[in-house]
Amino acid sequence: MPETTDFLYPFIEGDETDSGTLLEDLARSAEGKWLQSSALREATLTQSAAQVHATATAMAERFQAGGRLFTFGNGGSATDAEAVAHLYTQPPWGRALPARSLAEDQAVMTALGNDVGFDLVFSRQLIAHGRAHDIAMGFSTSGNSENLMRAFAEARKQGMLTVGLSGYDGGRMAAEGTPVAECLVARSDSVHRIQESQAALNHALWAAVQEALASSS
Amino acid sequence: MADTKQVTVTAVSDEVGGVAADLARASLALARRFSAGGTMWCASPNWPFHAHHVAVEFVHPVIMGKRALPAVTVPPAADMVASLRASVVPGDIVLVLADADDPAVVETMRRGAAWGVETVWIGAGGRRPEPGSANHVIWLDTENALQASELFVRIYHLLWELTHVCFEHPGLLKPEPECTDEVCITCSDEGRPAEVVSVDGDEALVRTPDGHEHIDVSLIDPPAPGDLVLVHAGFAITAPTQPGRPV
Repeated sequence: MPETTDFLYPFIEGDETDSGTLLEDLARSAEGKWLQSSALREATLTQSAAQVHATATAMAERFQAGGRLFTFGNGGSATDAEAVAHLYTQPPWGRALPARSLAEDQAVMTALGNDVGFDLVFSRQLIAHGRAHDIAMGFSTSGNSENLMRAFAEARKQGMLTVGLSGYDGGRMAAEGTPVAECLVARSDSVHRIQESQAALNHALWAAVQEALASSS
Repeated sequence: MADTKQVTVTAVSDEVGGVAADLARASLALARRFSAGGTMWCASPNWPFHAHHVAVEFVHPVIMGKRALPAVTVPPAADMVASLRASVVPGDIVLVLADADDPAVVETMRRGAAWGVETVWIGAGGRRPEPGSANHVIWLDTENALQASELFVRIYHLLWELTHVCFEHPGLLKPEPECTDEVCITCSDEGRPAEVVSVDGDEALVRTPDGHEHIDVSLIDPPAPGDLVLVHAGFAITAPTQPGRPV
């Protein structure tokens, strides 16, 4: 965390007893970060608007052809994968769509991690489940996770639509020769702010998929 | 497309006002509990991914060098009350992301005082938890489910960030001083919350933040295991409470 409040309390160490100043400082810090998050969100959605539209159109075509959405990621990004699968299958409005997070089944995850290595935990599942009409969507803040790159390569080989959400400058997921057809990037160097903007991208993308499906049926 | 975009690209920055102060207080409370050895139990019946995200933030910090803190997800399929009753110890934290009317969450939060845990309730929507139903209520006014979900991520990220700022202030993380005032109602056994473990005639074994104790239940309707009572001078002085009935 870049902010340290030490300079505000030059003589304290273990003797500080009044929490009032700290609480005020924490609240101010929260407000500042909140506004940073909002600013990155708006910038990301604005910069990505055309790409979100194009990606959603391609995804809607896959869904209409009977395709399914497979999501994956590591750590907090695994929970994003879970959140997206939840959103598509149990939407607050619109059409329910087939989606599943590959990180959710701990029996499969630990079996693959133990037997063939963690780099292959997602690609192996796509070998088992993937079909040409499906969609592979991976989440990373660095854009560099090896197990995601392996999964995207496998998905591409099978003819699946590959969609990535990344941060920083996009990383390997956005680099030349990437197997990711559409890489949406939240350009920040804070993992937390990246994930917060990726959540907004997920929602914008989902809403655009719903719109594309509604206008084509 | 433009219409669809407006569904999700709504202004979100105005929400922070009251939330910032609530986040500050909750973060200091978390840092104090963690410093004293507490574990944080995270649950979200409807959005298990949010509970998983909170736990992984604290256990495996995104910033190198920050302390790994004990945080656990309550399995979404579990009976939340039974699972937590078996697992929590006094000094722990129970953090829940849920609607105000989730019955399992209401039942869990009501037991916080008897279990001796710090409770944090994060949610959104016009209906808020009853006043006093958790130590910390961090609430968003939005009725938009997608907007709420995005802002929950912000809220628990900030909770983690601010909790770690608090660790830079060790003097403020010491336990609150014991109350020694002889007429202090809080300390005078005026009515301590307890959860009934078992009942044998007029006597019951109850759980309190100070441990298990035997009390006399002859003054109230016969309680059942799991009921909450108030204990005064070794006697249960309130009838068992039911969901929806005032404590």
